[in-house]
Amino acid sequence: MEKNEEKEMSFEDKIKRLESIVSELESGDVALEEAISKYTEAMKLSKECSEKLNEVTEKVNKILSENGTLEDFEVKEN
Amino acid sequence: MKEQYLTITQLSHYLKYKFDTDTHLSNVYLKGEISNFKAHTRGHYYFTLKDEGSRINAIMFSSSVAKCKFRPVDGMKVLVTGKVSVYEATGGYQIYVSDMLEDGVGNLYIAYEQLKKKLEEEGLFDKSIKKKIPRMPRRIGIVTASTGAAIRDILTTLKRRYPIVETILFPALVQGADAGRDIARKIEIANTYDIDVLIVGRGGGSIEDLWPFNEEVVARAIYHSHVPVISAVGHEVDFTIADFVADLRAPTPTAAAELAVVDIRTVLEYLTTSRTRSYNAICKIIKTKQTKLINLKESYVIKRPSSIYEIKEQKLDMLVDRIGVCIKNVLEAKRVRLFQSTSSYILNNPRMLYFQKHEYYKNLYARLNKEIRIILVNKKAKFFAIENHYILNNPSILYQSCSERLKSNIEKLVVLNPMNTLKRGYAIVKDGDKVISDVEEIEKGMRLSIHLKDGNILTEVMEVNRDSGEK
Repeated sequence: MEKNEEKEMSFEDKIKRLESIVSELESGDVALEEAISKYTEAMKLSKECSEKLNEVTEKVNKILSENGTLEDFEVKEN
Repeated sequence: MKEQYLTITQLSHYLKYKFDTDTHLSNVYLKGEISNFKAHTRGHYYFTLKDEGSRINAIMFSSSVAKCKFRPVDGMKVLVTGKVSVYEATGGYQIYVSDMLEDGVGNLYIAYEQLKKKLEEEGLFDKSIKKKIPRMPRRIGIVTASTGAAIRDILTTLKRRYPIVETILFPALVQGADAGRDIARKIEIANTYDIDVLIVGRGGGSIEDLWPFNEEVVARAIYHSHVPVISAVGHEVDFTIADFVADLRAPTPTAAAELAVVDIRTVLEYLTTSRTRSYNAICKIIKTKQTKLINLKESYVIKRPSSIYEIKEQKLDMLVDRIGVCIKNVLEAKRVRLFQSTSSYILNNPRMLYFQKHEYYKNLYARLNKEIRIILVNKKAKFFAIENHYILNNPSILYQSCSERLKSNIEKLVVLNPMNTLKRGYAIVKDGDKVISDVEEIEKGMRLSIHLKDGNILTEVMEVNRDSGEK
């Protein structure tokens, strides 16, 4: 799927990268062009992460069935 | 009426009598937990039996110990049969145990302690091998029963806290004899799937219910799992062996789900603040650069560029002045020298040069003459001395002294002549042509010649005797 191919970085990796860029920018110890490109990257990462979190698609819980395949699982309320 | 005072001994004796005559106390069935167990060297067992509310001292004599089929240890729950009586010396009551059996639950406890110790020694519980739980997993595996509170709590907690995570349930039996193997197997299967963390557990229950999570097969399956494992067995206070082996222990299944994922609200908040922080940071950087640029533009040199070469102009002027001064000094120095030269006495009075030289050569000439005269005088004196030498004027004296010297030498020669020595009676010993002067040169049997004043003798040596000490 297209989405999965683009997002080679896992969600956690993106957050980590974002944290690292933010602290670099805050340290102020960056050359101007580099600062601008890092800022652009930070904005991009932030947008991607927010989008992922707001995905409306409900994640479906799976269960391993008797014959070894994964099926959808619904919690039975007792 | 005076009270009758008993002695302590009498009282103890009475109490013992009371105990011994009570039929209920002569055969008591008791259940409790062993503590302070001590096996005496003579074979008797001394221990305390206790429960939550009370305790009683117990003694089991070696004759009864022989019937005991197991080794008692502290903490073990037992069923005992015995007689309760008073031990007068200490004034306490105790049970004299005749039979002792293990109570079922105690067995489990022992097995638990033994397995725990064994696995700990093998290093399964080492903190250094525990894996880190990822903050934001993509997919979580769960090994628990497919029905019941545990799975429900886990899934609702995950959905509330981090709804973007995927889950796969690997349903397993969680109590009973087959549960341990089933749990272990499901953990192995879970490892073949692409999951980031595994929750293994069940809801609360009795110690027997939770028992599968104390089995060795489950512990080893958790140990071998390359996926990090969070254990979630029973209630807060229960600690199973699975809890020790797991990479993280959760007190309940709900807590396990909380530990497995980050709270999504935290992440959302962070994303918002990260945007603000980035924006502020970049603005600050740009502002800093701007200020720097403004300062540079405002600098004196940039605003008034002519100041660059004005400085150079000034410098050049100074150098030119200095050159002027230097040249003047040099010329002045030369002039002074010239003046000194030209004003010298000699240049103005050249005849003085001639006079000086004249004086010099005159002196030299005088000295030369003097020296020559002295030499001549010396030579003359020498010649005169030679001329008047006594011998030159009287040559015969030379002859006289020579002949006298000759005469004395001849006399000496005569004395030294070995022939004269021979005349006096001495002999010369020769070995062929060689003169012998040391007896060391002579051996018995040698042929020697002895020369006298008028001839020689040929001899053969018979004996050599050395004189001692003379040298």
